[in-house]
Amino acid sequence: MTRIVRITRESVRMMAGNRLRVFIMMLGVAVGVASLTMMICVSKGAYKEVMDIVNRQGPALLQVRPGTDRHTGLPSGSRAVVSLAEEDVNAILQHVGNIHAAAPVKDRKGIEVKHGDKFTLTRIFGIIPEWSEIRDFGPSKGEFISEEDISFAARVCLIGQTVKKNLFGDTEPIGQTIRIKDVPFTVKGELKQKGVSSAGRDRDDRIVIPITTYFKRLFKDIHLSQIVITVEDTSSMDKTVEDVRAVIRERHKIAVGEPDDFAMRTPQDLIDLAYAASRSLINLLTGIAGISLLVAGIMITNIMLASVSARRNEIGIRRAIGARKNDILSQFMMECIFISLMGGILGTILGFGGSIILSSLKVAASKVTPTALLASIVSCSLIAVVFGIFPAKKAANQSPTNALRA
Amino acid sequence: MIKIKNIKKTYTKASVSTPVLRGISLSIQRGEYVAIMGTSGTGKSTLMNILGCLDKPTNGQLELDGVDVHGLDDDALSALRNKKIGFVFQQFFLLERTTALDNVLLPLIYAEKYPVDAVKRAKKTLVSVGLEDRMEYLASELSGGEQQRVAIARALINDPDVILADEPTGNLDSKSTNEVLEIFSRLNQEGRTIVVVTHDRAVAEHAQRILELKDGQIINSVANSKLKNSSDH
Repeated sequence: MTRIVRITRESVRMMAGNRLRVFIMMLGVAVGVASLTMMICVSKGAYKEVMDIVNRQGPALLQVRPGTDRHTGLPSGSRAVVSLAEEDVNAILQHVGNIHAAAPVKDRKGIEVKHGDKFTLTRIFGIIPEWSEIRDFGPSKGEFISEEDISFAARVCLIGQTVKKNLFGDTEPIGQTIRIKDVPFTVKGELKQKGVSSAGRDRDDRIVIPITTYFKRLFKDIHLSQIVITVEDTSSMDKTVEDVRAVIRERHKIAVGEPDDFAMRTPQDLIDLAYAASRSLINLLTGIAGISLLVAGIMITNIMLASVSARRNEIGIRRAIGARKNDILSQFMMECIFISLMGGILGTILGFGGSIILSSLKVAASKVTPTALLASIVSCSLIAVVFGIFPAKKAANQSPTNALRA
Repeated sequence: MIKIKNIKKTYTKASVSTPVLRGISLSIQRGEYVAIMGTSGTGKSTLMNILGCLDKPTNGQLELDGVDVHGLDDDALSALRNKKIGFVFQQFFLLERTTALDNVLLPLIYAEKYPVDAVKRAKKTLVSVGLEDRMEYLASELSGGEQQRVAIARALINDPDVILADEPTGNLDSKSTNEVLEIFSRLNQEGRTIVVVTHDRAVAEHAQRILELKDGQIINSVANSKLKNSSDH
């Protein structure tokens, strides 16, 4: 048995004899590490949520919406609501480079749709065939909207899975007729199942129809809800955004110095938006984690110093019977490291549990990640070393004769 | 076994120097049983700490089993204490929440090599001091006399050349005192060098030689029960 193994065993034995002291020190570390773990899980969760959105939409997606709020893209006045038109799409395709595809979109929610004696309220999207590729929203069954459908303003549609369930139940919808605002439409396909969006919207509760049909047969309107664009080269996204902005501003005859009457949103904007939303919670948790770890460290130093003082005779007798200064240092450091590691393990479990609870209560998205585990191990080891070294050195440097003075 | 030459020890605090040992020379032979006597404050414990390499003299030379201690660093002194010296203190200094057996095993933790038969050896040592039925008791559960016997067993576990005992019976009743002194006598008869520091003449009289300390100097070195001046200091 090597000397360090003997000393390690001795440390464990001494800790076993001082359970209350060990427990209090462990608890201090556990609180700090739990905060740190939660902070990491929440920030990772926020990052994952954002990346899920970006991945769903694709890194090459650029959205143009009427309105002036760059972040939300929400309309901010009557002029804004009617600011986009199909001509804008044509101008973009004509004058801006690096465009892979662009599609006008018009949508309206809460539209009554009937099939036989069943009806539902859903969102209607007027689109062109390119939209399917841009939004990765193709058919799971049947066919998508064709150029011919656009040319003839055909009364055809594709229905989302929720609409299918509401109107058809288990029966086959393709080829059947539904009535949108009392206008008959033939179902030519079903849309892929997409699930619920991060905003909680059911992405399967929708019907897509040709945009020309939308304007000619359903709503007498010519203004778009948005233009969706995919770029060829994502590294030139910023330049493309500026080019699109310039083209639309020129078409809208917006004078220099006047604000845009439209808003553009890139994947980076989404990331910034989501980070901004979760930043304050992450900042709060970072602060709590930092303070908790510092308090835990100070507590370790304090309790260890008290312990060194209380164990003066023990140190003295160990020195008298042959312990070197380094043996005493190692013993006290081992105690610190063990306590910190146990506190770290407990804290990690509490932190993971806490972040799962935060996530399930929808306070914050969180993701249990190995990074949190690694950070816990590193932080509690650092606490042990940084805050344990001073008391351990104090113990090691005690003169045996002083330590044995009762 | 132990040779000291002109040992001086002066404590300095706030620029005030207090000489405690004022030039002590003595020689203790292997297998000798020596008592160092004196009243409180005469420097007995300081002398014992120096003999046990727990403290360094301000001046003078100490030779332990042929090794000049003067040039040794802290680690070497620790190794020397572990191998060659067994300590017994008035306050026992056992680890209270530790069993008698583990207390006895303690010096082996710091030994150069941990013997494979460590536990067997510790048990045998405890038996030799009459504690065969107290091995698994916590130190705090033992009587004063039993605790001191555990301390003696701990001092013996590494088979040291010399046992240094500082007021070993100071906290014991007369029965336990006799038991401890009998153990020392037996160990001495077995060839062990024993140095006992005491203020109690009755305790000192168990030794073969009594050194009397006064004001940091040896004023008398007498053979047991036969008071006579000695010239070896």
